[in-house]
Amino acid sequence: MSSIVRSLVDWLDDRAGVRDLVNDALYERVVGGSRWRYVWGSALVMTFMTQVVTGIFLWMAYSPSTQTAWESVYFIEHEMTGGWLLRGIHHYMAQMMVILLAIHFVQIVWDGAYRAPRELNFVIGLILMLIVLGLSFTGYLLPWDQKGYWATNVGTELASQTPVVGADLKKVAVGGSDYGHHTLTRFFALHAGVLPALLVGFLVLHITLFRRHGLHAKDPNHGPDAMFWPDQVLKDSVASLGILAAVLAFTVWEGADLMAPADAANPYNAARPEWYFLFLFQFLKWFPGELEIWGAFIIPGIIVTVMFVMPWIGRSRAGHLLNVTLMVVLFGGAAYLTTQALYDDNFAAWSEPPGESASEGEIKAYEASKDFIEAKKDAHYEALRVIELAQSPAKIPPTGALTLVYDDPYLQGPKLYKQNCAGCHNYVDEENPDPRLTSLVNEEPSAPNLFGVGTRKWIEGLLDPEQIVSAHYFGYQGSPFVGDGDNTDMVDFVQESFSEDLDEEQRKTVQAAFKKVAIALSAEAKLTSQKEIDAQDADTIAEGRALIEGGLADVLESGTSCADCHTFGSAEDIGSPVLDGYMSRQWLLAFLGNSADEQFYGDMNDRMPAFAPHDDPRLNQLDQKSLELIVDWLRGDWYRPAEVVDE
Amino acid sequence: MANAPSSQAAKPTPPEDRRSFFTAIAAIVTGAIAVVTPLLAGVATFLSPLFRKNHSPTVRIALLSQVPDDGMPRYFPVVTDRDDAWNRYPQQRVGAVYLVRQANEPTPIAFTAKCPHAGCFIGYTAGDDEFQCPCHTSAFKLDGSRENGDNEVSPRDMDKLPVEVREIKLADGEMAQEVWVEFINFQTGHKEQIRTT
Repeated sequence: MSSIVRSLVDWLDDRAGVRDLVNDALYERVVGGSRWRYVWGSALVMTFMTQVVTGIFLWMAYSPSTQTAWESVYFIEHEMTGGWLLRGIHHYMAQMMVILLAIHFVQIVWDGAYRAPRELNFVIGLILMLIVLGLSFTGYLLPWDQKGYWATNVGTELASQTPVVGADLKKVAVGGSDYGHHTLTRFFALHAGVLPALLVGFLVLHITLFRRHGLHAKDPNHGPDAMFWPDQVLKDSVASLGILAAVLAFTVWEGADLMAPADAANPYNAARPEWYFLFLFQFLKWFPGELEIWGAFIIPGIIVTVMFVMPWIGRSRAGHLLNVTLMVVLFGGAAYLTTQALYDDNFAAWSEPPGESASEGEIKAYEASKDFIEAKKDAHYEALRVIELAQSPAKIPPTGALTLVYDDPYLQGPKLYKQNCAGCHNYVDEENPDPRLTSLVNEEPSAPNLFGVGTRKWIEGLLDPEQIVSAHYFGYQGSPFVGDGDNTDMVDFVQESFSEDLDEEQRKTVQAAFKKVAIALSAEAKLTSQKEIDAQDADTIAEGRALIEGGLADVLESGTSCADCHTFGSAEDIGSPVLDGYMSRQWLLAFLGNSADEQFYGDMNDRMPAFAPHDDPRLNQLDQKSLELIVDWLRGDWYRPAEVVDE
Repeated sequence: MANAPSSQAAKPTPPEDRRSFFTAIAAIVTGAIAVVTPLLAGVATFLSPLFRKNHSPTVRIALLSQVPDDGMPRYFPVVTDRDDAWNRYPQQRVGAVYLVRQANEPTPIAFTAKCPHAGCFIGYTAGDDEFQCPCHTSAFKLDGSRENGDNEVSPRDMDKLPVEVREIKLADGEMAQEVWVEFINFQTGHKEQIRTT
C-alpha cells in the first residue's frame, strides 16, 4: 500500500515538484523556537479562510436586491438548516478579524518588526488592513436591515463630502442618487468579489515577503531553533481553535442579529456603525459645521499616512519610540472615544434622570440617551414581529418583507395611533402594562382609554357606576358627559341604576343584568379574541340582547333600558350611538371616519375629529388603509402564530 | 562536441533594431486594445449612474387645513412614485417633511427631515421647542435655524423646500387647498445648499 502512495507522490513530484512545495511551506526555520507570540499572523489567515468558506456558502443563498436581500438573509438565518450557525460564524469572525488585526499591528510596531528590510511588507500589511475594513463596511449593508441601512447611509453621506469628487463618488458607490437595487449589487460585488480578490493578492505578497525575510524573532536566544512544522503549527492551530470557540460562543449566545427590513421612509434612530467604527462616529461630534471634513477625512487621512511611513520614522531609536507613542495614543484615543460613544447612548439606562439643578445640556444628553434606548427597544420588537410574520404560513409576498411591515396592524397601529389619537386618548392596560407601548400612555387624557375597546371587560367598566366617571371612560379632562356637563344622560343612567336606595338583593340583580348586557354588547364587536367565549355564551348573549332591547326596564327602578336612547335590534331609529355592531370593525371604521355623524354622537360629539368624512379621499386626513390598521390594532386583530399552531 | 553546432543554430539571431522596435510597439498596442476594451466597457457601465440625471419631484403633501397656523411643526411623509433601477414603486414613502405655518400666514414653510450634517432623519416630538437629530446631536429651532449657530455639528440650518399652495376643485364643485412641495435632495456637509443632481 505504502509503495503505491510513494509512487504516486513520486509521479506528482516529477511533474509538479510537490515535495519541494511542501518542504518550503512546512520547514521554515523558527529562530528561538516556536512561541505563542507568533500565532497572530497565522490566526489571521485562518479567520480569512473562514470568511471565504462561510462567505461562499452564504453567497449560495443570498440574493442582492431590495426585495430579496433581507428576505434571503432571513431565510438563511431562520429557515435553512444550520444557517444561523453559518451566518453567526461569518458575522463574529469578521469582528474577530478586526481585533486580530489590531493585535498583529500593535505587536509589529512594538517589536519594531517594520524595520528594513521589512518596510514593504509592513505597508502591504496596512493595505490588507484597509481592505478588511472595506469588507466590514460593505458587509454591514448586505442584510438590508434597518441597522445596516441607516448606518451605511451615514457612511456614504460622509463619503459624498470628500472634496471635489465626493458627490460623484457617492453616486458611483451607491449606484444612483438613492439607495436601491444597485447599491446592493455594487456592495455585494465589492464584498464578495473585488475586495477578497485584492485581499488574496496582497496576502500572497505579504506571505511571500514574510518567508523571504524570515520571522522577526524578538528574542533569538529564547530556545533552540525549531521548524514551523509541527511545533509552531500546533500553537497556531490551538490559537485558531480558541478563536473559533469564542466566535461559536457569541454565535450560540448572541447570534447574528437581523433587524427589521430597511425602510427609507422610517429612520432607525439608534443606527450606529459596527463597534470598531464607533470611535470615528464619536469623533465627528467634535467637529461643528464645515470643520466636519477635518473629522471625516483630514485627520483620519493624516493618521493613516503616518501609519504608512512608520517604518521610515522608526529607523532611529527615537523614531521607534515616537511610533510606539503614536500607537498608544491612537489606540488609547480610539478606546476613549468608543467608551464615550457607548456611554452617551446608554447612560440613561443606569443613571437617575437629571435633577432640578441640571443644565440644559445635561437634560438634553439624558433625553438623547433615553431616545436611543427607546429606539433600540422598538427596533428589537419590530424585528421579532417581522420575523414572526415571515414565518407565518402566508410567508413573504413577492413585493418583499416591507409589505409585511406596512400591512401589519400590530406594527402600524401604535404608530398611527400615536400620530392621530394619543394626543387625547389614553392607551394603557393598568393591570399588565405593555413595555412596547409605554409611549402611548397619556397621563392627562381628554378622551377615554381605548385599551381593550369592545371587550367584555371594557364594557363592564363602562357600565360600572364608579369606573364610568373615571378618566378611563367619561371622567377625563373637560368631559361633557359627567358632572355639570351638557350630556350626562349615560353617566346618570348608570349611576342611578345603582342608587344607594337599593338593598343588597336589588343591587345584585342589577349587577347580574348589567353583566349580561355587557356580554351581549361585547358580542356585537365580534372580536376574534372572544370568538370562543361568545359561542359558548350564546344563551347569555340572547338574554343580554333582550335586556338591551327593553327588558332592562323591568329590572331597573328608573324603568328605562338601553333601547330607550339607542338604536339596537328591534328598537330602530331611536337614537345614537347605534349599538348594532357596536365596536365591530365596520362600526369603528365608520365611527373614525366621522364620529359626529347622526348614527354616532351627532351634536353630542366631544372634540373627536372626523378622520375621513368625505367621499373624495383627497380631502380626508386618513386614508382607508390607515383607518383599517388603527381599527384592527385597537380590536386586537392581527396575525398570531400560536393560533395557527392550535388550528 | 557533436551537439555544439546544433545548439549554436538554435540561438536566435538578434533582430534588427528598427524591426524589433516596431514589433514591441505593435505587441503593446494590440495587447493593450485586447485587454483594455472589455475593461472600458465595464468601467462605462459601472459609471452609468454619473450619466443619469435625476429630477426633484413636486409632491402633494397635505391639505392646507391639516397644517394649523400655530407655528408648530407637523410631520408628513413624502409619498410619490419612486424608480429604482428596473422597478417603479407607485406611491412610496420617499422621505418626510415638516410643515410649519405661522399665524395668519397663507403658506406653510417646509423643512426636509434629512439632516444637513450626515443625512439622518431629524426628529420632532409634538410640543417640543426644537428639532433634534438622533445621530450626531444636531439641534434646530422651530424656524429651522441651528440651536448653536456655527458651533452646531450641522454645517447649515435645516433645508427649506419650495412650497406651493394649489387650489383644487372637487367633484361636488367645492374648492380646497393643497400643499405641494418640491422634494429636493440636498448634499450634506456643506455650508451652502447643493442639489444632488
